[in-house]
Amino acid sequence: MITTTDLKVKLIDGLGLEDIEVDEIGDDMALFGDDGLGLDSVDAIEITLIVEKEFGVKIKDAGEESGVFSTPNTLVTYINENK
Amino acid sequence: MKIYDMDKKCYVDIAHIKNPTTKVEQLSEALYCYENEIFDIIYDKAQPALKAHVESFSEDFLKQVEMQFLYFTSGTTGTPTGVYKTKLNSKKQAQAFIDTLPKDMKFNRIVTTVPFVHIYGVDIGGVVAKEMDIDVWVKENFIPEELAREANVDGTLVVTTPLFIKALNRIKKDTKFSGAYFITSTAPLSLEDAKEFKESYGSSVMQLFASTENGIMAYKVDDETILKAYDCVEIGESDNMLNISSPFVAQKILNDTIEKVELPFQTEDIVEILSEHEFKLLGRSSSLAKVAGKRISTLQIEAIVEGLECVECALVKVRKDAKALRDEILDIYIESSRDIKQKELKEILKKVFGSMHIVFKLHNGMIITKSSVGKKIGFKEKN
Repeated sequence: MITTTDLKVKLIDGLGLEDIEVDEIGDDMALFGDDGLGLDSVDAIEITLIVEKEFGVKIKDAGEESGVFSTPNTLVTYINENK
Repeated sequence: MKIYDMDKKCYVDIAHIKNPTTKVEQLSEALYCYENEIFDIIYDKAQPALKAHVESFSEDFLKQVEMQFLYFTSGTTGTPTGVYKTKLNSKKQAQAFIDTLPKDMKFNRIVTTVPFVHIYGVDIGGVVAKEMDIDVWVKENFIPEELAREANVDGTLVVTTPLFIKALNRIKKDTKFSGAYFITSTAPLSLEDAKEFKESYGSSVMQLFASTENGIMAYKVDDETILKAYDCVEIGESDNMLNISSPFVAQKILNDTIEKVELPFQTEDIVEILSEHEFKLLGRSSSLAKVAGKRISTLQIEAIVEGLECVECALVKVRKDAKALRDEILDIYIESSRDIKQKELKEILKKVFGSMHIVFKLHNGMIITKSSVGKKIGFKEKN
């Protein structure tokens, strides 16, 4: 099982978020938008590649309705369900 | 010609939409204005400073007779520039672009990953589709796997950016896109990435060299290094900077005031002209550093350093030193199998730049960190 901490470590490393600590990212914090981590659509593409490389899970669609990319929790749920 | 909304899985009408927010709405509004010759102001409203800048003008002031589109770009100096285009600018440009597409391919749709808040999206994603009378497929947020599925359909013209080419290279699907053709915007796509894409997917990438002010100027395909100017584009240079005369150049430009554009239009792109219609791009304004009073490209210096056999990767950062007499100092971070000496690099740079005094500091023993799509994002010490 992948934990949100595992994911956050990989995101910080892969997205070059060197000024952010794991503890600063809440499990239910929005990944995108000004109110959350502030990632953008390019980061979303990066995340799909990070998830595939680090956890061996392909994200096959952006899943706007299911909100895969919403928070660390939703992303980890998707990874664990598809691993 | 219709717009297909991939999120809602339906075709949508081209219609007048006040304050469009989604990509589908943006395209619909731009094409409605184009069809009906209604003046339209196009810019990225998600940028607060740009929005405030545009809104600081009255619409009556901005509206100009016979103009079709007014694009606002971020500008190289930090102050947004307004660029006026006529319908004829866009129409002629679309035809010139269409003429360069491979003759042995028949396209029945455009799939685009780009937004319609810049000239690239509107003119290449929208107006080209209109002139070719083929549908445009639009999705708010694409991820590489989704684009791979669409590119697998024969007759697809993919209008995208180098980012997606790199991303598709990373996911390495066991499939070919030989019935599709890719177009990318001006942002640089490395020769290695272009070559890898062609080898992996059997599909070509046409890379456009364009700007809002000039429209499309030239193009190259796959790992070609020489840019070919479009037939009706005349190229020239002044102080190694490209200048352009063509029917695609903007009619008027708004900085502090609205001014008519005189031809040839001077760009800040550093080029080497090879023939009447061919040139090599050495650097672009976005990566320019002012050294010894002249503008040189940090990308060009990275390429020079990376040309050394022992160098894996180089990253050049510009350090401004207000106290120093010289404008900028270059920090050059190097990942290599041996240390590069200051004197050694100085000699090499001298061969390229002559007697120009380039002040730089070498940082050997580094690892250049990259994002998963290959973009250099930083550096760290090797051990």
